[in-house]
Amino acid sequence: MKSAGTSPTRFAVAVRYLAPKLVQFAFVIWATYTVTFLLIHLLPGDPLLAALSVKGGDATTTDPAALEILRAQYGLDGSLWDQYWGHLIQALQGNLGLSIATGQPVGDMIARALPNTAAVAILALVLGVVSSVVITYFAYVTRWGWVRNTLLQIPPLGVAIPAFLSGLVLVSIFAFGLDLLPSSGSRNPLSIVLPAITLALPVGAIFFQVFSAAVLEAMASPYVFTATAKGLAPRTIFLRHVLRNSLLPSITILGLLIGYLAGGTAVVETVFSRDGIGRLTVDAVLARDSNVIQGIIIVVALVYSVVNLLVDLSYGVIDPRTRAALSGTAVARAKDEAAVEV
Amino acid sequence: MSTKKSRVFRLTAMPVAALAAISLLAACSSGTADNDAAPLESSKDTIVFAIKEDPTCLDPQLTSLTTSLNIGRQVVDSLVDQNPETGEIVPWLAESFETNDDLSAFTFTLRDDVTFSDGTALTSAVVKANLDSLIALGKTAPLASQFLAGYVSTDVVDDLNFTVTFSAPNAPFLQGASTMTLGIVSEATTAQAADVRCTAGPIGSGSFVYDSYTPNDSVVIVKRDGYDWASELREHTGEALVSTIEFPVITENGVRTGGLESGEFDIIQDLPYIDESRFTTDDYNLYAAANTGVPNSLIPNTTRPIVADEAVRKAMLLGTDREEINLLTGSVSGQPATSALTSSTSGFESQAEATAYDPDAAEELLDDAGWEMGSDGIREKDGTKLTVTATAFYAQDVLEATQIQLKKIGIDLQLKMVTSGDFFGAIATGDYDFLAAGLTRSDPDALRVLFSQASAAKWGIVDDAELESILLEQAATSDTADRQALIDQAQEIIIDKAYLVPMLETTQLHASVSTVSGVTFDSASRVQLYDVRASE
Repeated sequence: MKSAGTSPTRFAVAVRYLAPKLVQFAFVIWATYTVTFLLIHLLPGDPLLAALSVKGGDATTTDPAALEILRAQYGLDGSLWDQYWGHLIQALQGNLGLSIATGQPVGDMIARALPNTAAVAILALVLGVVSSVVITYFAYVTRWGWVRNTLLQIPPLGVAIPAFLSGLVLVSIFAFGLDLLPSSGSRNPLSIVLPAITLALPVGAIFFQVFSAAVLEAMASPYVFTATAKGLAPRTIFLRHVLRNSLLPSITILGLLIGYLAGGTAVVETVFSRDGIGRLTVDAVLARDSNVIQGIIIVVALVYSVVNLLVDLSYGVIDPRTRAALSGTAVARAKDEAAVEV
Repeated sequence: MSTKKSRVFRLTAMPVAALAAISLLAACSSGTADNDAAPLESSKDTIVFAIKEDPTCLDPQLTSLTTSLNIGRQVVDSLVDQNPETGEIVPWLAESFETNDDLSAFTFTLRDDVTFSDGTALTSAVVKANLDSLIALGKTAPLASQFLAGYVSTDVVDDLNFTVTFSAPNAPFLQGASTMTLGIVSEATTAQAADVRCTAGPIGSGSFVYDSYTPNDSVVIVKRDGYDWASELREHTGEALVSTIEFPVITENGVRTGGLESGEFDIIQDLPYIDESRFTTDDYNLYAAANTGVPNSLIPNTTRPIVADEAVRKAMLLGTDREEINLLTGSVSGQPATSALTSSTSGFESQAEATAYDPDAAEELLDDAGWEMGSDGIREKDGTKLTVTATAFYAQDVLEATQIQLKKIGIDLQLKMVTSGDFFGAIATGDYDFLAAGLTRSDPDALRVLFSQASAAKWGIVDDAELESILLEQAATSDTADRQALIDQAQEIIIDKAYLVPMLETTQLHASVSTVSGVTFDSASRVQLYDVRASE
């Protein structure tokens, strides 16, 4: 295969690489939408009454005629098939419908909540990755085996402690005890810190497991042996050689972690009373607000698929071998090799 | 009296007559009334009131969520106010009001100095627009449509006088007019779509105006400059005492209580009962009021064979120990339920004797009715087990306590905890033995809403012509004493025939730091923050 020098060839390669990815991308989102639709609508009970009772409390209307009118208003009338197509076509036009429980447009609710969640998730990811790299670095450069073992034992604690508990402990110490950070809400820009740390614990711990394993493996590899023999300092070897090679398998886990974050934010957003996708989801599920649940699922599926697409593409940037041959199989092979060999 | 002056003025005007009429100073220096003390003020400008959930809808006409109403009350005034202690209806936006003999027409005279926060004046036409739009909204405003049942029209006499007419007598209307469900919003607001009113918030004539609403995060209200038409039930007159009230949405109980302890919040909504004892010290103030209306109860569907047996229902009523339920699951500040209405509802008449715990009498009733104790501790009759279900979507602990108590007399109460949607679904189809829930309404008419078979929102299914006629009659009786007699009768029948097994008076329990004062409940057990103030 030619090197990626001339643009038409490069374009063709990119299309050949991207086209199946995009088809897969669309399929994943359609399938997620359909499964969610079936789950919501095949469950027993009436989603309209459930959502109305959130707003109406003990004054909730149960008059059949009134319910029929409301059903039509929220697009919940007609056969299951009509509803499915109606909502799907609407969604394709960018209209996610109205929330039954709040009456607000679903698109607006998500647009409002998404940046809050993204801010916490990104900060959590950065904190988790940076601290994993730092801890691993110290474990790598230390001369004493017991220090290394101790350092390597700390991060798994992050997974063991539930986010609900660590969140409350952090609030008690830093907000109520020391009065350093706000306990809740998103009115103060600093209020992002505690939820991000809470989420960074499990996220960092998972990332650490993969990353530190890759680093330890690299320590035993021939190129590190060569570099050491040449007299390079451990710090230089780590930053120049080991870090780059270990990031490749770690990038894969990042894609999965973003999926984890989508679920994990529900807990921290509840504990820290923050507006966000997680809490929106919890509220919508409790109210069986089907329009909101479907809207969120579509948006989260979109985000997740885009991230995974980006992860796939990033192999080309990090590993020059995949850059030279940008084809699906080459990337897949590079992924496998990255995990075992490097 | 042509124009209603401030409370200070009226109280002092009597002894000091004309002299006081020309001088407010005179009013401040004369007499011994408590409002002659130093004027109320707050050294803290901003009060932080942590609420437990997103208010969802800011327009109190369109929601019945307690959290929304607690905030909406500060922004929207009502035609009349109700004294929560005596049940007396007093002037507010309307300086006077009268009804015709059969309670089908209500004539109001408005104050002439009231404006909405958009600068427009309160006139009869605005009130008409309010009521007409509520009728047009129909089921989108479910509570309002109950208060306005039989609404015919609002006839404007002039700018300040108007008459509201109903096709049939409507005794609960005046009381409904005191709630924020029938609060008065500006004409511009009435013309808006329901979802806009919910998110943008209505333009009211209240002592505060909406400043911002970030869904799921916070609501901020600020003081209305120039406000001077508080009802006489308030402690002071003029503008509110604090300039800003923030309502952060704090869903996590531990964060609300922790924030109160650390001083991050001044007031918190819904202190969990379990935390109550931590906050009974002098550092905090507790505010407790039982929800008005029907207490959390078992509400029967007497078309079910076992439930139709009066002996079974009576045995359940006598076999339920409400003292214990309150002790186990209620607020320390709460009282055991003793009637079909809660003790905070106007018209409440204690049935303490008839509802006293008496398991022996309960067992005797069941024995006499042929329910024999089976080997498994559950009674049975002709091969049928004495098993009934209770459909509920909250307060499982209350039901569990009841379940254990009823088991002792051989009744097997099966709990059917469902989602709120399924609960209302069961009501719509009539598919239940007992419902377990309370119904919040500030008027004793709650009994008609719950029990009258003619009511659109009926929960209880009973076939009792006497009760039905009493319930309908009380809604059409203008004489207070006569109406009270009917409501007493209704409570008596409901308890006597065990059409309801009361379990617990659910308490609204809020807490503040002790430097905060002036938090009061209105007659619907929602908070009124006009007088709220805090010292540093």
